[in-house]
Amino acid sequence: MSEPAPTPRSSFSAARPVMLPPNVRVGANTLINGEIAFKRFHSQLPDALIVGANCTMDGVHFALGEKGRVRIGDHCYFTNAVMLCELELRIGDYVVIGWNATIADTDFHPLAPAARVADAIACSPLGKGRPRPDISRRPVIIDDDVWIGPNAAVLKGVHIGAGAFIEPGSLVTRDVPPRARVLGNPAQVIGEIC
Amino acid sequence: MSPDRTLPWDWYSGMIPQNATVDETAYIETSFSFYLFRSRLPLGLEIGRGASTYLGTMFDVGPRGHVKLGDYTLVHGARIICDAEIIIADYSLVSWNVVLMDTYRIPLDIGDRRAELELVPTRQPRLPAAEVPARPIHIQRNVWIGFDACVLPGVTIGEGSVVGARAVVTGDVPPYTVVAGNPARVIRRLEPDVCWDRVQESFTSPPPRRTR
Repeated sequence: MSEPAPTPRSSFSAARPVMLPPNVRVGANTLINGEIAFKRFHSQLPDALIVGANCTMDGVHFALGEKGRVRIGDHCYFTNAVMLCELELRIGDYVVIGWNATIADTDFHPLAPAARVADAIACSPLGKGRPRPDISRRPVIIDDDVWIGPNAAVLKGVHIGAGAFIEPGSLVTRDVPPRARVLGNPAQVIGEIC
Repeated sequence: MSPDRTLPWDWYSGMIPQNATVDETAYIETSFSFYLFRSRLPLGLEIGRGASTYLGTMFDVGPRGHVKLGDYTLVHGARIICDAEIIIADYSLVSWNVVLMDTYRIPLDIGDRRAELELVPTRQPRLPAAEVPARPIHIQRNVWIGFDACVLPGVTIGEGSVVGARAVVTGDVPPYTVVAGNPARVIRRLEPDVCWDRVQESFTSPPPRRTR
């Protein structure tokens, strides 16, 4: 096989290295690849993204808003995860996130109908300069040894305790106790990892 | 497929794996689907008559994995994560972003998992390779799986059944049943109205003549 062509969501296809934005710090022996890794990386904070050592970020999408801040520990393994961050994602060591899972610390738009109209206008091509309404954002905290399955989603304000196991396709809207096994939409505790 | 196992229309410069049998009437949109195919079985993959796989389909198959796509199956962008066996029988339709997994790939025991995650960065490519129990998935014929659905290890989905979009199937589904939800639950039964002898017959008779 010769050198792979560019792909929309790559799996180890980036023969060429990904250019890191200046406010990204990466530990030793950590791999970040995929064409889209930093396509939506807009954070202006210093050290907006810090990834620990020995991590594999295969096709991960780091979509950070201007004030987004992401911390990822050591020995993590993410496959095509989508990290949507307007405030803070704090992820521990030995965390595994499966294919096409989404982690988001905001809903991106307000809940109240009138505020949503204002937001739609502000976001439109005609809304230049109009301020957007306040949008709730709450940090997502994922402790060490958490496993998150493919197609799962973790929403704003959730704290997932150490060693918890999020089954594929789960929608996590509330905190998960350490070592709990959760499944469903909304995710419910179905057992424990012993 | 060309004699050198490449696809003449492919944008990706890969090949059909040597241990795969692909019927000459099957359509594979891109060999990128085999990027994570690493089965070392003599026969790791079988793709049947008139089967088709489109962009986004990934055969993430481990060294002892065996995948079979039956005749006339349509796999339109599923992630097939297989360390034991995943069989999708004839006439089944599998939609986009569906995950079919016969293994969790990573040890459940946290100590073992840490040991494995320390090994992953030493491999090329970086893939988990721990011995983790896998339980085969059997999708029987004429099953329809909606988009974003997940099918977990050990599941059998009976003939003619339908899995709704975004459903997560954690246990067996009886034949001719519609399941939906997360976790998936039975929401209705279907009339088993397929006459398989007639289906065979319609293929052996010539196609209807086109009229202007």
